[in-house]
Amino acid sequence: MSSKKILIIDDEPDVAAYLSAVLEANGYKSYATSDIKTAMEQVMNLHPDLICLDIVMPDETGISFYSRLRQNNESKTTPVIIVSGIIDSEKFDFRTYVKDDSIPPPECFMEKPIDVDVYIQKVRELIGKNSSTENGDKN
Amino acid sequence: MVKIHQPRTEIKIKPDVKTYSAKTENIIFREMFQQIPYNIAVIDRDYNIVEANSNFKDYFGSWQNKKCYTVYKKINEPCKDCPTKEVFKKGDPVVADAVGIDQYGRKTHYVAHVLPIKIKRDGEVEYAMEMTRTVTETDRWQQEYQILFDRVPCYITVIGEDYRIVRANEAFRENFGDVLGHHCYKVYKRRNTKCRNCPAEKTFKDGKVHQSGQQGIGKKGQKIHYAVSTSALMRGSDSVAHVIEISNDITAMKKLEEKVIDAERLGAVGQTVAGLAHSIKNILMGLEGGKYIVSLGLNKNDKEKINQGWEMLERNFDKTTSLVKDFLSFSKGRLPELKMLNPGSLALEIVDLYKAIAAQSGIELKSEIDKNVKAAPLDPAGIHTCLTNLVSNAIDACIMGKQKGTEVLITVSEIRDKLIFEVKDNGSGIDYEIKKKIFTTFFTTKGGGGTGLGLLTTRKIVQEHGGKILISSKKGKGAKFTMEFPRKRLMALYKECKV
Repeated sequence: MSSKKILIIDDEPDVAAYLSAVLEANGYKSYATSDIKTAMEQVMNLHPDLICLDIVMPDETGISFYSRLRQNNESKTTPVIIVSGIIDSEKFDFRTYVKDDSIPPPECFMEKPIDVDVYIQKVRELIGKNSSTENGDKN
Repeated sequence: MVKIHQPRTEIKIKPDVKTYSAKTENIIFREMFQQIPYNIAVIDRDYNIVEANSNFKDYFGSWQNKKCYTVYKKINEPCKDCPTKEVFKKGDPVVADAVGIDQYGRKTHYVAHVLPIKIKRDGEVEYAMEMTRTVTETDRWQQEYQILFDRVPCYITVIGEDYRIVRANEAFRENFGDVLGHHCYKVYKRRNTKCRNCPAEKTFKDGKVHQSGQQGIGKKGQKIHYAVSTSALMRGSDSVAHVIEISNDITAMKKLEEKVIDAERLGAVGQTVAGLAHSIKNILMGLEGGKYIVSLGLNKNDKEKINQGWEMLERNFDKTTSLVKDFLSFSKGRLPELKMLNPGSLALEIVDLYKAIAAQSGIELKSEIDKNVKAAPLDPAGIHTCLTNLVSNAIDACIMGKQKGTEVLITVSEIRDKLIFEVKDNGSGIDYEIKKKIFTTFFTTKGGGGTGLGLLTTRKIVQEHGGKILISSKKGKGAKFTMEFPRKRLMALYKECKV
């Protein structure tokens, strides 16, 4: 069984590099893009198992991109983790940003900087432990 | 009573129809007397009305056995300036205008044609025929026009070819003072010469309507913003004799606009704190990431990973430093340290500093320095920071625009006692949404490349110099940032600094 694919969308290259390193160390295959304009195209080509999404980006907010993901049949059910510096994960209310009830909140919100263990646990919950996991998994 | 002109008195009808007789003629004249759209009364030398048509009766009421002045004016003695008296005396017809009272007691303005009637060819004038036509309607229009002119909530002036005001409505006089005969530019703007881009001048030239937004000074020294439209009053068909300027006062709107901006700015304080937290969290994430990757590399003895992690650490420590530096210079509240400097050489320093960096990305950094610009009191470090920020922004915009042949131009000039620095690029431009936020938050479009404090700091320094900063840009078409420093304010600050 091939590795699960995870797409990271964040305009901060260092954040993307960090998340990639964490995911790769846990046996997932990671892809990163800092350009939200071409991100949808990448989602369509790659069919990732999970998407990690930032909110504050220059050309489009992560919230708006997320709404588009959910309106597209091909990405409608792809799990999404929003990782952002502007959210307080406990108080964050998705409905203040997206009024449209037909768009469900994303599977998970996470505040920057992330706790690596919590992050990986969440990824596993959402797409399962990767069959090819052999590195970095200390459990 | 005013004599207007002498009307013709001879009316000839040619009785050349067979059936036409003296009797028919009589009937025709009687019909005409009754139906003609005039009020007609015949008066004898003692001012008794001896005959009148039905129009007259309908208008002034019953007349039998009454004196003309009782009927026309409801008074008990002859009028002082009676035109009919003149007709009896001289035997010539007279036209006059007068104010009387109709049968319902309403004031009425009329024009009277008074004709002498002689029964004997060489005898004296025995009767006077008064034909009156009311002009109350015209009069009312005039009044309406006057009220409109004065009360319409606009400023209206009529300007002659010599740019002197020949008429001004009440609203204008109230706000600009009594100004008839003065030059419009003196009155509107307290200038001694014609304004640049004067819309009235254009209308004088082409006779067409022109519009423009202007700022003037009222009689109490208050700023008045107005939107003016100029129309031509033609002399004949081809030359403009006067220009009417109709202006809408938009001062209140401007003030409201300023309040909205203030409110937005206050809202932005909250956003600024959130923005600062966001920047810090991203930096922390980079530091954590660097640490994680270094330890990953150490565990696996992977030198490449260690290097990657170490670079991330370095980069994010640098970011912390520049964030703190920007934040400090932003929050510093101080008077600028002014020194007499040549503004042009400040600009040239920046060109030297950035020329090579710009060239690396294929961008030409140019400068245009007006040699007539004299030394001015400026804070060298502050202006250096401003120009650095603007130029590096312009270079980034050119890189983001991804076009060929991009350039950044710094100009130093002086217009009307204002020292002006301008940084212009033909890069990616700024759209409206971003323009709104540009000075208010830790706003950056540069992803990891900016702290979002550069322009905020720039504006602060410019304001500390008593100046202002203006942006003009369209998405995709480059941007122009202008810093304006009025000399007067710079000098005032300079004196303050020295004390």
